[in-house]
Amino acid sequence: MSNFDIGLASFAVLMVAIFLRMPIGLAMFSVGFGGLYLINGDATFALARLKSETYSTFSSYSLSIIPMFLLMGQFATHGGMSQALFKAAQSWLGHLRGGVAMAAIGACAGFGAICGSSLATAATMGQVALPEMKRYGYSGGFSSATLAAGGTLGILIPPSVILVIYAILAEQNIAKLFLAALIPGILAAVGYMITVSIYVRLHPEAAGVRPRASTRQRLGALVPVLPVLVVFLVVVGGIYLGLFTPTEGAAVGAAATGLIAFFNGGLRGKIWLDSFYATAKSTAMIFFIVLGAAFYNGFLALTQVPQELAAWVVARAFNPWMVLALILALYLVFGCLMDSLSMILLTIPIFFPIVSVLDFGMGPEDFAIWFGIIVLIVVEVGLITPPVGLNLFVINSMDRETPIARTYGAVMYFVGSDVLRVALLVLFPGISLVLVRLLY
Amino acid sequence: MAQHELRSVISHNRAQGILTAFFVKLARFSAILGGLVLSALILLIVVSVAGRGLNTLMHELIAAGFLIGLARSLLEAGVGPVTGDFELVEAGVAFAIFAFLPLAQITGAHARVDVLSSRLPPAFNRTLDLAWDLLFAVVLVVIAWRLWGGMLGKMRYNETTMLLQFPVWWAYAVSLIGACVAAIVAAYVAIVRIVEIAAGRSILPSDQGAPG
Repeated sequence: MSNFDIGLASFAVLMVAIFLRMPIGLAMFSVGFGGLYLINGDATFALARLKSETYSTFSSYSLSIIPMFLLMGQFATHGGMSQALFKAAQSWLGHLRGGVAMAAIGACAGFGAICGSSLATAATMGQVALPEMKRYGYSGGFSSATLAAGGTLGILIPPSVILVIYAILAEQNIAKLFLAALIPGILAAVGYMITVSIYVRLHPEAAGVRPRASTRQRLGALVPVLPVLVVFLVVVGGIYLGLFTPTEGAAVGAAATGLIAFFNGGLRGKIWLDSFYATAKSTAMIFFIVLGAAFYNGFLALTQVPQELAAWVVARAFNPWMVLALILALYLVFGCLMDSLSMILLTIPIFFPIVSVLDFGMGPEDFAIWFGIIVLIVVEVGLITPPVGLNLFVINSMDRETPIARTYGAVMYFVGSDVLRVALLVLFPGISLVLVRLLY
Repeated sequence: MAQHELRSVISHNRAQGILTAFFVKLARFSAILGGLVLSALILLIVVSVAGRGLNTLMHELIAAGFLIGLARSLLEAGVGPVTGDFELVEAGVAFAIFAFLPLAQITGAHARVDVLSSRLPPAFNRTLDLAWDLLFAVVLVVIAWRLWGGMLGKMRYNETTMLLQFPVWWAYAVSLIGACVAAIVAAYVAIVRIVEIAAGRSILPSDQGAPG
């Protein structure tokens, strides 16, 4: 068996292992280890690499942004910021048709601006918004679908943990990627609100009416939101303007969010510890996958598989747009089965060399940014696609009275909005790139 | 069931309960240590960013000829970024992540794909989980062992960091503590899976962490 064959076979073995419930990080690590063993004939090389690889992966300065953003998300969750955001959005939008659902989307977008994770956004906003939507006569399926979709804004609107990982894999500037995600993120929020308003016109029974809030109430509701706005402006603005590195931004954001949570009375003893536990579990899980992926991709590079595949695609002179469409379709399918982070770590080292040799009529850096934003959105669609979208289950576990099949029906409207947005971003790369060009 | 058999089952379960409680506590303690170090790093970075900002501001004040005395004295007092914050963050975050591993291990927080297995019989899934947790324990033991090897290498060559000049093996050594706890907890989890199969019931709480 040549090294190339070993590389190809490893992919099949990896897929089987993953679908047999093997933890994804462990699967990549073990298959990478086994592959190195086969290539070298013994384990000496693999064991020698491990002497420094674990430490250097875990001690990466640019990856240290991840535990900091996760801790920041925990502080935001416990700091009462979700309630404040939802209250404010509700007082401005609540009286419209489907207004409480729009408010939930708006609040998710706001929360996404200080939280880098979809599931955390869906879970946190679900706790706040689901009871309110029920109170104003919104149907269970529509409410769950709205929050599951709103949760994906957590990752689209910077900061975003997945973009950090993509930036490192594709060797791109994190700040530029955050900047590029801003307009698509806002587009997503607006698109979801339009979806809500279409849905309630087609299904008038799914939404109740909420009285209009007075101007006084509206302005009053904005005050508790100010800290969130300040944190977002300082962190993301500071990173955009180059005042500090993304890691420094994450640290400043985590400290500020922790301070706000503390003054809101959200960080008493046990909750403080719970924040640590949740951060520990997510961080350890993510870094073990990162380690497994580093190990596996190191092996794969030795087999020349990514390079040969890229050369093959170029030699066959496929239409670039067809290749892109095929890859996006693959992401859409796999996104329904696997969590987005594992998928990015597993596929970018293989797909990125292939697509980056194709000519899409833009420079390599522009292309890397544009491709990253599109992939980010496509994998997030998987989070809300029935029957296995993870966000759907997170929300469903909070509202036991609503059968998940009801949610499936309603969430397809949001999936439709996502697909439309992906098409827009593919056809008009300028949407993602305009801010990057303006600021750099 | 005879009285003495019943008693032995109960005491057996109690011993198991005490052991599990001990390892859960150990994993949580480790996570708290990691969390405290992470928090300390966050504060360190904030101080460093603030120091750098003040430093720039003071230089600008001097250039603008405004409050020169104050600016000079502040600069002389050493207002500026923390030297080597970069190196401390790298060493600290490695420790924190190693210290986070045990909790993910004992709560089963590692991401996996459940689509196919949800249609397979529970006994089959239990066997799979046992196989993967055994492998996980082996891998974590190997990682701890190689980290030890890496540390010896750094000691031998006396490698130090660029700015702070502290020996790199110190950072390896503190990480090694977390790696060892992770290996021990993973071994315990693997043993529990065997007992679970023998007893036909779950012992450890299961809880998937939140990915992405």
